[in-house]
Amino acid sequence: MRRAWLTVLVVVVVLALLAPSFAAPTQQQRRFTLPDIPNPKVDTHATGEGARYGGVFVTSQISDPRTFNYIVAQETSSTVPLSLVFSGLVDQDFVTGEIEPDLAESWTLSPDRRTWTFRLRRGVKWHDGRPFTAADVDFTFKAIFTEGVQTSYRDTLTYEGQPLRWRVVDEFTVQFITPKPVGIFLRQIGVPILPRHKLEAALARGGAEFNRTWSVATPPREIVGTGPFVMQRYTPGQRIEYVRWSGYYKVDQRGNRLPYLTRRVILIVPNLDAARLRFLAGETDIYAARPREFAEFKAREREGNYTIYDGPETFTSEFVALNMNPRGIQPPKVTWFQDVRFRRALNHAIDRNAIAQQVYAGRATPAWGPVSSGHPLYYNPRLAQYPYDINRAQQLLAEAGYRREGTGPLRDPQGNTVAFVLATNSENTDRVAIGNIVRQDWQRLGVQVTFAPEAFNSLVGKLVGSFNWDAIIIGLTGGIEPGTGRNVWLCSGSLHLWWPRQERCATPWEQEIDRLFEQIAEETDQARRRQLYFRWQELVAQNVPLMYFTYPKTQPAVRNTLGNIKIGLQGAVSPSEILFYRAPVRR
Amino acid sequence: MLRHIVRRLLILFPMLLGITAVSFGVIQLAPGDFLDEMRLNPVVSAETVEQMRRNFGLDRPIHIQYLKWLSNVVRGDFGYSFSFHVPVAWLLGSRWLNTIILNITAFVFAWIVAIPLGIHAAVRQYSWSDNSLTFIALLGISTPTFFSGLLGLYLAFKTGWLPIGGMTSLGFEDLSPIGKVLDVAHHLILPTLILGFLSVAGLMRQMRGNLLEVLRQDYVKTARAKGLHNRVVLYKHAVRNAINPLITIFGFQLGALLSGSAILENVIGWPGIGQLIVEALFKKDLYVVMAALVVGSVTLVLGNLVADILLAAVDPRIRYD
Repeated sequence: MRRAWLTVLVVVVVLALLAPSFAAPTQQQRRFTLPDIPNPKVDTHATGEGARYGGVFVTSQISDPRTFNYIVAQETSSTVPLSLVFSGLVDQDFVTGEIEPDLAESWTLSPDRRTWTFRLRRGVKWHDGRPFTAADVDFTFKAIFTEGVQTSYRDTLTYEGQPLRWRVVDEFTVQFITPKPVGIFLRQIGVPILPRHKLEAALARGGAEFNRTWSVATPPREIVGTGPFVMQRYTPGQRIEYVRWSGYYKVDQRGNRLPYLTRRVILIVPNLDAARLRFLAGETDIYAARPREFAEFKAREREGNYTIYDGPETFTSEFVALNMNPRGIQPPKVTWFQDVRFRRALNHAIDRNAIAQQVYAGRATPAWGPVSSGHPLYYNPRLAQYPYDINRAQQLLAEAGYRREGTGPLRDPQGNTVAFVLATNSENTDRVAIGNIVRQDWQRLGVQVTFAPEAFNSLVGKLVGSFNWDAIIIGLTGGIEPGTGRNVWLCSGSLHLWWPRQERCATPWEQEIDRLFEQIAEETDQARRRQLYFRWQELVAQNVPLMYFTYPKTQPAVRNTLGNIKIGLQGAVSPSEILFYRAPVRR
Repeated sequence: MLRHIVRRLLILFPMLLGITAVSFGVIQLAPGDFLDEMRLNPVVSAETVEQMRRNFGLDRPIHIQYLKWLSNVVRGDFGYSFSFHVPVAWLLGSRWLNTIILNITAFVFAWIVAIPLGIHAAVRQYSWSDNSLTFIALLGISTPTFFSGLLGLYLAFKTGWLPIGGMTSLGFEDLSPIGKVLDVAHHLILPTLILGFLSVAGLMRQMRGNLLEVLRQDYVKTARAKGLHNRVVLYKHAVRNAINPLITIFGFQLGALLSGSAILENVIGWPGIGQLIVEALFKKDLYVVMAALVVGSVTLVLGNLVADILLAAVDPRIRYD
């Protein structure tokens, strides 16, 4: 359902490395032609078996879209509705995470690994019937790099301060030139392509004007894309409605043109409770249940005519960070937090099973590093682990010179009582629940923890502004490709939470991580990249700058009337373009 | 009277100036701004966030920002929403009608139900029906809207008689005009009951208390002693005099027509401006919040003005000259 354009891994072909549960990508054995499209894309997940045309597919989302201008869109409430309407040069397979052709039918890389040449698919049309050409690709990248356009694509396509360069070779060929080899280039080039003929005039009036173009006030028929569905109507606060695009360029394995569905609706609901009730009442067809809801949903499967799937872990974990930044806090606190033995001791004292049970009803996997066990490519299963062990924690503290009399407070080697404030954002109930568990765990060591949840905005102010905090529980969004998180892992980064914006790396291990990330950025060989990522995870696990808790599992519930259901990465359900209705009517 | 009205309207301007200046300051002094979520996004650089801040004009001193906003508002421009990239006026304009529909329905429902119940309760003081009405009223007053909203949603789901939130059904656009009205009416039942119930409780207690007060007056005794019919005493004399304090409440409720349902809209997904404003507050979408404040203040002042005029009309003892 969600195509994370922004994130994610590299690859053209990954075979031997993949875990056996992931099928190797099938080379397109068959070729079809459509009257208007000489080489349509054959979707590997659409077998065509039992497929029928027709039907309305309804899902819900929380809160309205903010804009219909895809490259300005920031939050999923805008990007999900737009992903049905637009497509990019390449796409990411929702099951394997591999990069596959989309608007581009193929590409080549020059011997110096800096020039990528993309051949565009012919015969593709915009929803208003105008042909799609290299001019549209050219225009989209021009918009991304126009001063004042508010887009997060610019940062991902800027390499060491130098913007990506590109040139149009002919009507169906585009070349991209990077300042040096870029390992994750294919992950980043899948930006949604916008129609030049519709937006050229707005861009000519400058970035600020472009940001306001294709706002949610625009009549939907103006919003033309190359994607599987045409936006038909938007009713603020209520729903977005789409109809099938009859000129779409994909076919199933039997040569039938996709999508199968005639209509697609996204209901806008105010909160998760409303989303849940609407699914249970049969008004929507998919609901991404929360871990705690799994048992209840399982029990109602039959009467509700749906199936709840045991999905894989998400890619993101909540974690606790300790402040090691001398510009933010004073000794003795900063001295404790900078001591790796202290951090390891505290990490041993976190009861991850209690967190998994109490916060996620058992549907979460303990986390030992920054990559999720649900990750198809880069998860390193052999990291230093810190199972819950109070004795081990006490032993580590004693070795570092910390003392404790009976049940009294823990004291550092200088005799200071070990006491600090643990914060999190109060809006997030999971984090607050985790915070309460962690506070109790650490108090068993004699550490006096004051747990003080606060408003998100003031928390961010401390993290990236004043640096004045002790310990914070938070999570960061991440995709398949950890390399996009340079802000977090480079020690000069503004989101290097424990000590941001360092002039020179404070520790050897941070320096090594910096070096690894520089190498990863350039490395185009998949096996090498994986090794580098494995090493990075080892360093993080050994030095514990962040203590990860658990990777929660996903559990999508899907109505049984739908066919061609597959559960992909992070619990993603088959995209709308390959779903069909088994039954002609919705219940 | 006319002079009084003009004076009241003129006072509105310095008052708005005060309200907006203080609010603007408070919003800006609270930690954080609209870009905080961006700051925690691993793929967005700090420089990009800083550039956005400049583009939004958030880097200038607060008083300059305020004066710029004020001069635009005077020209009728409420600025752009940070998160929607559309004029704030369009954003509120696209939804205010939905909020008005909901509030007026709830308003009418509440008054039609509450006044007769209040009279009934006063006339039969301490009877079985008065006591049970009192109990229900107290229950209504003390139930928070978000709770009754959730409860209502759950009941709608369990019974299947009412839609689970929202304002229109899927396929609304294909209905006949009458079908459309019926569809909206169907969706209105639940929020109207919840919102109405809350004000029914308060209004009913007010009406009861006032009427009891009046019924103890000497002139009521006199009227009864004259042999006037009980009905005439009650409806022609007592109720008329008891209604005065309710007119003040009427004015207040008039002023809250745009903001009174904000919490409920958020719980059950009624597509009004309340939903927008609460979200804007959390996200610190500055100009949306400011516009909502201006609109809210103006309606409140006008509502009170209407109440004063009505009071003068029904009560000869009240003079404004």
